[in-house]
Amino acid sequence: MKEMGSLGPFEVLQRRSNSTSPRNRLVKRVLLAILLIVFGSLSVRIFSAPPLSGFASPHSRSSTTSITPPLFETRFASHGKTEMVHSPAVVEIAGNRLQGFWYGGTSEHAKDVAIYTSVFDPQKGLWSPEISLITAESTQKSLHRYVKKLGNVVALRDQNNQLWLFYVSVSVGRWSGSAINLMISQDDGESWSPSRRLITSPLLNLATLVKGPPVLLEDGTIGLPVYHEFLGRFGEFVRLDRAGRVVQKTRLSRGSASLQPIIIPDTNRKALGLMRYGGPAPRRILSVETTDGGFHWSRPVKTDLRNPGAAIAGTRLQNGDLLLVFNDSENARDDLSLAYRPSGDKAWRIIYRFEFEKETTLLGGRTRVFSYPYLVRTQNGDFHLLYTWYRTHIKHIQFNQAWLEQRLRSPSRL
Amino acid sequence: MTAARSRRYSLTTRRLLFFSVFVVAFLPLQGLSMAGYVRGVTGDVSVTTLILLVAASISCLMDRDLYDSRSFLVLMLLILGGGVFLYPFALGLTYFDPYALGYGSKAFVAVLFLLSLGAWYFDLYLIVACVIFAISAYMIGIYESTNLWDYLIDPLITSYALFLLAGNEIKHLLHGFSSGARSPLTRKASVR
Repeated sequence: MKEMGSLGPFEVLQRRSNSTSPRNRLVKRVLLAILLIVFGSLSVRIFSAPPLSGFASPHSRSSTTSITPPLFETRFASHGKTEMVHSPAVVEIAGNRLQGFWYGGTSEHAKDVAIYTSVFDPQKGLWSPEISLITAESTQKSLHRYVKKLGNVVALRDQNNQLWLFYVSVSVGRWSGSAINLMISQDDGESWSPSRRLITSPLLNLATLVKGPPVLLEDGTIGLPVYHEFLGRFGEFVRLDRAGRVVQKTRLSRGSASLQPIIIPDTNRKALGLMRYGGPAPRRILSVETTDGGFHWSRPVKTDLRNPGAAIAGTRLQNGDLLLVFNDSENARDDLSLAYRPSGDKAWRIIYRFEFEKETTLLGGRTRVFSYPYLVRTQNGDFHLLYTWYRTHIKHIQFNQAWLEQRLRSPSRL
Repeated sequence: MTAARSRRYSLTTRRLLFFSVFVVAFLPLQGLSMAGYVRGVTGDVSVTTLILLVAASISCLMDRDLYDSRSFLVLMLLILGGGVFLYPFALGLTYFDPYALGYGSKAFVAVLFLLSLGAWYFDLYLIVACVIFAISAYMIGIYESTNLWDYLIDPLITSYALFLLAGNEIKHLLHGFSSGARSPLTRKASVR
């Protein structure tokens, strides 16, 4: 046999087999037949795949509750079971209850970090004691691969009342070694399927994370905003089928300055995407838009809203107006504000500050951090905001439409 | 990858080494096999890599080559070409994302079909086999990935192709300086 290194690229193509024995001819024909069958099957699958759809209508909730008195309540969702907590998510489950999720441990990158969960009973106005739902060990057992620690979590309840829980795990390094995992519950979080890995990058599937809530698509499937954080930092919109398999993804941005996208649908074709900014000053929240159901997105542009390189949360009201929770600062997370944007307008107006203590003595010595907001609206029209409070607790703020309208009429931000 | 390369050790030594590595790979350590730790970092290797590993193992254990070197050379060139096309864009350099083509792009499948047909015509059966097995595995869904790229190539085999081809080029360049010979990869079609 002639060694590989002594052959040129043209030579290898010219040096076809000289053997014309019946056996070789038969082998060649069989190989061609298999090749055609395999590609034929692949083509059938591709051409028979259901078309991808746009966004589910976000305007299907019960009517607003203007006749009810303004409601604004604060409480803690976590109970101090772990020294550090961060990055909450929340989803409405049966009985108008809320189920919250966050990660906690001794520190952000500690090996004992686990995903904790707690349930909020609206009748009692209480969160249940948090319990550990997912650990690095349980994920490792499900995935049959090494898992070092866990991270961000997001959740969604679909049209069939299944709970979808997406969470980040890290096998190597820090956040650049992240991957996304999925668990599904058929019984409102009583039991969960084993963890499954989502493959979203060809580079060893490294550095894909979640932060923004998943969105329902028109055909009942799910769209998941994700971001990559390796050499580049950019956002993508991933589509999953009903079984939770990735079927398509679209880039929201490129480069190394945008991450943690949130998607806020308007119609089945139109949606707004907002992203945390990680580039040079001026530091502003980035905005992208789609008008074709998320298949193509406009280039990111800076909004007027400041951003210290921190996560944001938002939702759309029934009339199309927008709400956004964000840190109104370019360099710190010691402020947490609520911004409002009327439908069809481009200008945001800050209508409330949830956190603004500059000289607080609470938890002296600890850094003032109010971050990673997660905002949902429940079927009864109430808004629920969860966020990291000093990294020691998960805070829950509940307000309703009447309170919001009161804020919109008020010239003060407080 | 050829049997000739592994013949510096006796067949018995090679078999002992192979089975030792095989056993170690599945030894549990804190509830997880050694292979599980490696998989935590590398993820699943592509079907192409698996085929080459199986072929290399058979070559090592049975002193028998399963494919010809010209098939292997063209496969390495195709893998490197695919990797150059795929991986830089995964870093978010552009809005174009070739990885998204792996989710059932008709154009991607058409190009792959033409390449496979060309490989079949030129008797490059190793490439044909890799494509057939990769697509079959993709259709069955043996991996977590639903992207055809992940069944065809992976960063490990691409790196191997890069170092192998670059190594050969450097070797021939050095040889060329001393003897005036030209590299097989840069040599024009003057060969028969």
